[in-house]
Amino acid sequence: MLNFLSLLKNEQVKLYSRFSTWSMYIILASIIILAGMITAIFGDVDTEGYGNDWRAELQAENEQLQAEMEESEFAIHENSINKNNYYLEQDIKPQPYDAWAFTSEFSMLGFMLSLFMVIIASGLIAGEFRWGTIKLLFIRPISRTKIWLSKYITIMITTLSMFVFMFLFAMILGSLLFGINGLSPSMVQLSGNEWEQVNIVKEILSQYGLILVELVIMATLAFMISSLFRNSAMAIGLTIFLMFAGASVVIYLSEYDWAKFILFANIDLQPYFGPGQPMIEGMTLTFSVIVLLTYYVVFLLASWFAFTKRDVAGH
Amino acid sequence: MQPAMELVNLYKSIGKKQIIKNLSFSIYPGEVFGFLGPNGAGKTTTIRMMVGLMKITSGDVKINGTSVKNDFKGAIQHVGAIVENPEMYPFMNGWKNLKHYARMMNGITDERIREVVSLVGLEKAMKEKVGKYSLGMRQRMGIAQALLHRPSVLILDEPTNGLDPAGIREIRQYIRRLAEQEQVAVIVSSHLLSEIELMCDRISIIKNGELVTVEEVQNSTEKDERVEVWLEVEPVDKAKAVIEKHHELEVVVHHDKLSMSVTKETIPEIVKGLVQDQVNVYEVTTKSSSLEDKFFDVIGENTIA
Ligand SMILES: Nc1ncnc2c1ncn2[C@@H]1O[C@H](COP(=O)(O)OP(=O)(O)O)[C@@H](O)[C@H]1O
Ligand SMILES: [Mg+2]
Repeated sequence: MLNFLSLLKNEQVKLYSRFSTWSMYIILASIIILAGMITAIFGDVDTEGYGNDWRAELQAENEQLQAEMEESEFAIHENSINKNNYYLEQDIKPQPYDAWAFTSEFSMLGFMLSLFMVIIASGLIAGEFRWGTIKLLFIRPISRTKIWLSKYITIMITTLSMFVFMFLFAMILGSLLFGINGLSPSMVQLSGNEWEQVNIVKEILSQYGLILVELVIMATLAFMISSLFRNSAMAIGLTIFLMFAGASVVIYLSEYDWAKFILFANIDLQPYFGPGQPMIEGMTLTFSVIVLLTYYVVFLLASWFAFTKRDVAGH
Repeated sequence: MQPAMELVNLYKSIGKKQIIKNLSFSIYPGEVFGFLGPNGAGKTTTIRMMVGLMKITSGDVKINGTSVKNDFKGAIQHVGAIVENPEMYPFMNGWKNLKHYARMMNGITDERIREVVSLVGLEKAMKEKVGKYSLGMRQRMGIAQALLHRPSVLILDEPTNGLDPAGIREIRQYIRRLAEQEQVAVIVSSHLLSEIELMCDRISIIKNGELVTVEEVQNSTEKDERVEVWLEVEPVDKAKAVIEKHHELEVVVHHDKLSMSVTKETIPEIVKGLVQDQVNVYEVTTKSSSLEDKFFDVIGENTIA
C-alpha cells in the first residue's frame, strides 16, 4: 500500500514538473477570467436584485417589455416575460446574478476538460517509452500491474483536481465580481418547454456527471491506444478525431441495426435526462449503460494486457 | 561460492529469428565481468532478459540463486541496472529524478541518495534539469540510480559509450571500488575491448548471440610473464645478430621489424644492447594478451568497432 501511494506520488510529481500540465490550468483560468470580465462589463446581468416589493417591480418590468414589443417588431422579450410570470405564479423572489450563477455557466468547459484528460492519458504511458524511462520503472521490485494502475488512477485524480480548480476559481472570481447569495442557491431555467426552479449546486453536479461519463471513456480509450502503440501523438490524434467524428459516423451508419452498438451512439447520455432524442430510435438508458460499460472494460483490459505482458524491446 | 548471477542455457527468439543462442555463464561477488561483442551481437537483448524487460524464450537467469522467471521481485531487488542509454526525465532536476526511483524501493533515505550522488560526483548538478546534463553526467546519473538500493549485482550496458578517456577512467574507478570494497558483482557490456579491458577481471566475447569465449584478464603484466615484443629497427639484420648474441632467443624478421617472445624484464636489456651497438630503434611494441587477437578474430577486419 505504501508502495502504491509512492507510485501515485511519483506520477503527480512527473505531471506537475511539466509546464504543459500547468498550461491546462492556465487555459481554464484564462477562459473563466475572460468570461467574467465580459459578463461584468458588457453582460446585462442584474447583481443588485429586487427590493421588498419585487412583485410590483416584476409586473412593471413586464409591462415595459410588452410595450417595447408592440412598438418594434425587432424587440423579442417573450422569454423574459414568461420567466417573470413564472416567478410571479410560483411566488419565488428572483435572485440576483451571483457567483453561483456564474459558475453554473462553465459546464461548457467540460469538453475542454475531456480534451485535456485525453492529452494527459495519452502521455502517461507513451511518455515513459519516449523518454526511455520505462526500462528504469520496470526493473524495480514492483509489479507492472501496480504501475499500470497507478497511472490509470492518476487520470482520475487529475480530472478531479482540474474540476475542483475550475469550480473554486469560478466561485472566487464570481464572488469578487458579482457577490454571492447564500449557500443553497437556486435559479429558474427552461427545462424542455417548461420553466423550472432548480438548485444550482445540484445542477452543476448533474451536468458534470454526464460530462464525466464521456470524459472517462475517452480518456480510457486514449490510455489504451497509448499503451498499445506506445506513442502519444497517435493516441491523442486518434482519440480527438473520434471525439469529433464519432457522432457523424453514427449518423452516417444509422440505417444499419448494428450502429447502435457503436461507442459514439451511446456516449452522450444527455438525451435520456432532458430534451432530445437518442441517436438511434429504440435505444434506452440501460442499453447505453451496458454498451458503455462493455467498451470501458475492453479498453481497460487491452491497455492492461499490452502494458504488462509485452516485451520492452529496442527501437 | 554461489554465483551472484547465473545464465543457464539462455535463448531468445523474436519472430523466427534466434537472437540469443544457448548462453551460459556465471558471475561471482566482487568480480567485474566484461560482456564484449560487436554491435548487434545480442548484448542488450541478453541484459533485457536478465532484468525482466524481455521474456526469456528458454533457459533461465538466476540472481543469488533466485530465478528471474519464477520470482521476479525476489530476484530483481538485488539488481541495479542501466539498459542501453541512461535515460532520465529531462524536465526534472537530478535530485527529483533520483527521488523518483528511490520511492519505488523500500528504505532508501535522503541520506543514501546523497551518498550515491557524492560517489558519482554529481553534488553540484542536483538542482539542474537532467535535460541539460552532458552525456557523461547522464552516465553517472544512471550509475547513481542503479546503486540506490545497494544491489549485489550491477549491470551496466555500454557505460563508456560516448565518454572521453577521463570519463572512462572515472567510471573504471567507481566500478573497481564497488567490486573490491562492497563485493558487488558488476557486468559491463561494451563493443570496444580497449574501453573495458582495464576494469574487468574476466571478459566474455559474444557474436551473433553465441558465446565465443570467456577469458581471464591479466591487467598489469607481471615482470616474469612472457610477452610478444615487436621492434622497428635499422639495420634489421644487425639488430637480429645483436639480440641473438646477448640473449637466447628466437628472433623472427618481418620486413623492417623483428618479433620475439620474451619476459617483460628483459625488454630494457635488449633495447640497451641495441643502442650500445649503434642500432637505431624506432618503435617497441608489446602484444600483451591473447584476448585482443581473439576479439579481433571475432569482430573481423572490416567491422567498425
Ligand atoms: N525488437 C527486436 N526485433 C527484432 N530483432 C531485434 C529486436 N531487438 C534487437 N534485435 C536484433 O537482435 C540483435 C541483437 O541486438 P542487441 O541485443 O541490441 O545487440 P547489441 O546490444 O549487442 O549491440 C540484432 O541483430 C538486432 O537487430
Ligand atoms: Mg546494445
